[in-house]
Amino acid sequence: MTRNLKRPSLKRLAALSAAAVAIAWSGSAAAQSDTDTKDFAVVGNVPAMCVGGTLTGTGATFDMGVLIDINTGLLRNDLAAPPKILSGSFCSARSTITVNATPMAAQTFTSTPPAGFSRLVDYTATAAGWTTTPAAFATGAGSNPAAVQTRGTAFSGDITVSVGSFSTVGGANQRLVADTNYQGNVTVTLAVAS
Amino acid sequence: MKRLALTLLAAAALPGIAHAQATDTATADVGVSGTVAKLCTLGTPTPAPVDVGQMANTSGARVGKITVIAPRTVTLPGSFCNFAGSAITVTATALVSTDASAVEPGFAKAVNYTADVANWAAGSATVTTAATAGGGSPTASATGPTQPAPKVADLDVTLSNFTAPSDFLLTAGAYSGLVVVKLGPVASGGD
Repeated sequence: MTRNLKRPSLKRLAALSAAAVAIAWSGSAAAQSDTDTKDFAVVGNVPAMCVGGTLTGTGATFDMGVLIDINTGLLRNDLAAPPKILSGSFCSARSTITVNATPMAAQTFTSTPPAGFSRLVDYTATAAGWTTTPAAFATGAGSNPAAVQTRGTAFSGDITVSVGSFSTVGGANQRLVADTNYQGNVTVTLAVAS
Repeated sequence: MKRLALTLLAAAALPGIAHAQATDTATADVGVSGTVAKLCTLGTPTPAPVDVGQMANTSGARVGKITVIAPRTVTLPGSFCNFAGSAITVTATALVSTDASAVEPGFAKAVNYTADVANWAAGSATVTTAATAGGGSPTASATGPTQPAPKVADLDVTLSNFTAPSDFLLTAGAYSGLVVVKLGPVASGGD
């Protein structure tokens, strides 16, 4: 009887020992490893920016030449000038292009002209290539909703600036006062859209 | 004579037996054994995360393109392996814009760089990312030489050679990348 009791007791002890080892081993396996991994993030940023590029071609002036038909004194109806190219333009984010213009005005004859005469010439300035619908500004218009166009993505490309649709301020029957310098100004603005 | 001789032999043997049984000391050997598991540990990357700041030129001939970004070093102090035959594996992911929009022609939305983990084996573990302009395939990985002995060291991870794919203009926005350093037994070493 004594022997019979002792034998199961030893087996039980062995079983307990095995269980203890198993527990200890699983604890060790969770706490240590022959491989370790660490990571860290690398971050940076690029600011939204727009660059208008540079004008190519023959200078920065639309030279319209003589503005009137010398037989009638009225504004020529065939005024034209090659477009200007703004090359190297880009915006790194969503952007707007805005074109603004001032009428061509006599720079020497600055007083109010007499009846039947005008010292101002209206025209339409257009900036194309940036947006599907070119930005356009008519100096004689009360409002120019098309002057601002939005592009939803970054873009890099040429902007073609042109002028046209000339008309005499006051009406087509007004004659322009003589002046050696009629001058207007076209401004194209690229801006990051909010 | 023969009897006498046997008797004497017996007498001579007895004292020896009597001596062994009378000692008060017993000796036995008990073995003591243990094991040390293979272990590799990397220190906490410091400093982290790495912010390289503004990455594009805002003026000059290279306006809009990637600027010169100074190398950055991150240290993993007190890294060790307690066994021979370990190696570093470095996995780097290029800085990619977090804006998921498609990239426009002439622009890139990724910045590649070289990650170099030094001071473990005879040579360093070096990898250079090769993301596309659109941010595709940003992750690259490489394993360095084997360290033939147990070692403890401060590991230096140097990030350098920041470039934009095709040197395109960089799209505006926040960019994020990741460096993963792994220290463990070489693949052929078995474990």
